[in-house]
Amino acid sequence: MLGVWLYFSLCSMVFAQDSFQIEGSVVNANTLQPLEGANIIGKGLFSISSSTGTFTIKNVAEGTYSLTISHIGYSSETVTLKVGPKMDTLKIYLRESVTELQDVEVNGKTKKRETQELATVSHTVSKDFLDKNRENSLMQTLKNIPGVSTINIGSGQSKPVIRGLGFNRVVVVQNSIKHEAQQWGNDHGLEIDQYGVETVKIIKGPASLQYGSDAIAGVVDIQTSKLPVKNSLKGEVNLLGETNNDLLGVSAGIQGRKNKWFYRGRLTYRDYGDYKVPTDKINYENYIFELHDNNLRNTAGKEADASLGIGFISGNIKSETNFSNVNAKNGFFANAHGLEVRSSSIDYDSSNRDVDLPYHKVNHFKITNNTSVGIGNHTLHLDLGYQNNHREERSEPVPHGYMPTPPDSKERIFDKNTYTLNIKDSFSPNQRHDVAAGVNLEYQDNNIGGWGFLIPAYNRFTIGAFAYDQFELHPDLHLLGGLRYDYGVLDSKSHYDWYPSTVNNSDGSTSYIYLQRAKNKTLNFGNISGSLGISYIHKNTTYKVNLGKSFRMPLANELASDGVNYHMYRYERGNLDLDPESSYQLDLDIDHTTAAFSFGASPFVNIFENFIYLNPTSNYYETLQIYEYTQSKVFRAGGEIRASTTVLKNLQLDASAEYVYSKQTSGPKKGFTLPFSPPLSGLFSASYQFKDFLFLYEPKVKADYRITAAQNEIVPPEEVTEGYQVLNMSFTAQMNLFKSAKPFDVRVKLNNVLNTHFYDHTSFYRLIDVPEPGRNLSISLTVPF
Amino acid sequence: MGFSTKYFFIPILILVVASCTTDDNAAKDEQKPTIDINYDEGFPQACSQLVRGETYSFKAMVSDNVELASYSLDIHHNFDHHTHDDQDGECSMDTKKTAINPWIFIENYSIEDGLTIYEISIGLTIPNDIDTGDYHCSFSVIDETGWQSRTSVDIKIID
Repeated sequence: MLGVWLYFSLCSMVFAQDSFQIEGSVVNANTLQPLEGANIIGKGLFSISSSTGTFTIKNVAEGTYSLTISHIGYSSETVTLKVGPKMDTLKIYLRESVTELQDVEVNGKTKKRETQELATVSHTVSKDFLDKNRENSLMQTLKNIPGVSTINIGSGQSKPVIRGLGFNRVVVVQNSIKHEAQQWGNDHGLEIDQYGVETVKIIKGPASLQYGSDAIAGVVDIQTSKLPVKNSLKGEVNLLGETNNDLLGVSAGIQGRKNKWFYRGRLTYRDYGDYKVPTDKINYENYIFELHDNNLRNTAGKEADASLGIGFISGNIKSETNFSNVNAKNGFFANAHGLEVRSSSIDYDSSNRDVDLPYHKVNHFKITNNTSVGIGNHTLHLDLGYQNNHREERSEPVPHGYMPTPPDSKERIFDKNTYTLNIKDSFSPNQRHDVAAGVNLEYQDNNIGGWGFLIPAYNRFTIGAFAYDQFELHPDLHLLGGLRYDYGVLDSKSHYDWYPSTVNNSDGSTSYIYLQRAKNKTLNFGNISGSLGISYIHKNTTYKVNLGKSFRMPLANELASDGVNYHMYRYERGNLDLDPESSYQLDLDIDHTTAAFSFGASPFVNIFENFIYLNPTSNYYETLQIYEYTQSKVFRAGGEIRASTTVLKNLQLDASAEYVYSKQTSGPKKGFTLPFSPPLSGLFSASYQFKDFLFLYEPKVKADYRITAAQNEIVPPEEVTEGYQVLNMSFTAQMNLFKSAKPFDVRVKLNNVLNTHFYDHTSFYRLIDVPEPGRNLSISLTVPF
Repeated sequence: MGFSTKYFFIPILILVVASCTTDDNAAKDEQKPTIDINYDEGFPQACSQLVRGETYSFKAMVSDNVELASYSLDIHHNFDHHTHDDQDGECSMDTKKTAINPWIFIENYSIEDGLTIYEISIGLTIPNDIDTGDYHCSFSVIDETGWQSRTSVDIKIID
């Protein structure tokens, strides 16, 4: 309604013989207040206006450039300027208008140039990508990024996998605090509300230097949402419906800012039924499970999330506190939980929406505070976090081995508290160095309950100190190097069975003993990690080489477990002599981007000195196969390639492929691959933008075609998985029904268009021969206000 | 800067080629062992009725492409109908009941080195004091590599 005029001025000065500097400032013409956070983007040029509205682009070669200036709430504008000894000064007036809102660059945090200069191989995912590609969980959405895959447990839960490694080998960070749950578990999914996420940085490669233990395969860094604009209040409501699992979801978010204080809040609720698979029966070993109405029995679930953030920004101080709670309940496939075949008198087919046993429920509560203070050329970052993860696995009480029928359905209870403190100082002693040093402290207190036993209770304290320097040898050549030392103490608690087992003694007598499953033990670990890399930007091409050493502290279950995992029909034995896992990785990355064409390749080679591996032995314990934690040398290599081009004005083509080769080069499974190895896979997409018609703006149709090869490289107890091809289609547009209001975003997505019957080698349900979900139509509507 | 694009592509090319040509010389054992009770001497057959106090020889045939390692026999009650077997046909089940003194037989055995075919044969006398009713009997076998196969059969223990 109100036209806001943007006053934009540009001036320049001679910097060197053939290199110039563009300086400018962005102000709001109405209020004459400087505008912070405006994006200034050109071919190879990028800047963001500071809190005083100013920006600088250094080392610009002589020539003609086109710059696009954009800011939330203002329409973007493109200017052409000649950079040279005598440069024109430009003044541009921009008018806010509802129909032009679509041009606004929402993705202000994508500091493309900064990413280019950084030697680590990373990929930044914008809110726009997340909105357009949204699937049932955050990780399923991120699966479209080459090198990223997931281990899914049903339709609503998944855990991250980067280049074939997951579980505790990938770190998930939210608001600079490491997300700590029961991520070692097979049937655990990431407890994060994907609607609250704006920007995700994915690091493919070793990142222990900055993220500590576990960042061995990569990092999913969910970054702090960007600051709301001064004196603003805005919100949105997302509605989602899906046909495959009859999902209904609603998420509402609001954010506002006066001058110094800002806040944001979000509520999300999702409820879904059993998901449908394109088969009417499941064949598992010699068992046949008939499915009612193609429903994968008892895989319904629900999720309710809430979050609230309050922040303060003034001068050199910025502080934000976030509270969030994620609560979910998910059913597990009723006929076989893990590998165990079950009969039950529960009438699972009476409703496809109820969640019967077996199921799990999880509640993740998190408080984080991120404070940064600028003192001179130093910026001090302080992150504080508290997390409570409470997870219950419930199943029908059934006798097993010497265990009589348990009294209730509480099979396993996990309750984990994690306290985190990060202190980091970033400073620039001169223009060429960006130095950072800091310490990370973390304390975990993990408690267990229930009649089943898998992981002992433990306390764990870790401390790590690091320093790294990004050194500018030349404006286009950057060096990044750093070192880190970590020390950890793990205190595992003893655990005894609640029932006696029959033990045949060597003298022929029989005793009945409450067997000890875990011992009281204190273990210490120390590790050095580091990274050295180089980034070189030549015209439209960025080259990176990075060598890193990362590590992972052994987990309590890897060290101390000694019990029956009935779901997997195995006996798991820990090993107190395990060393911290350490891995060396060499990464290369090439990216060539022009307006019409872009190409990238990121190969890697990785060696594990002592990969911790749960080895299936050839011996039994009480008629269950013994699986023992052992360490072996592992060689891995692979990478991703990607290309995209704009063939016609409105037609964009993208292609990407990913591949990982893994081989154990020592130990009992020498010559075998690693569990859950993703097969060679390619994704081809074509999107076409039509002309606006009626009330639809920017209508766009996109087809994604995934071709995945067979996975013939397996390790016991896996099975070979055949290749598959699957087609997904989507339609997105903005809908402007009421001229005065902001346009709605509408998205219609058809997954698995041909209802293809296929298996995903890295799905939890693959082991029991459950195919992937069938055709799914989803409709999503985002209403801003 | 003095270094050109092609010098960058060379190591990558080498890397890709190297990673594709790293071949395993030793053939891996990727086959599970087999286990079968569906032959004349196989015992117990589906829905068999076993009498308390009698002695039976539990028999199954196992084989592997490389080498057999160990096997096990697990007999436990199914009074709550919590599981079912993987054999053809359904056995008639008694009504559900609570276990008082159920028979539990859990035992592991190893197979002598170098065998690829072996007949499991375990002589067992059904104790006289145990609960009668529906039982579940499962055999399993593991090969030297760690591949496992299982089979199970529903039986009834009667007086």
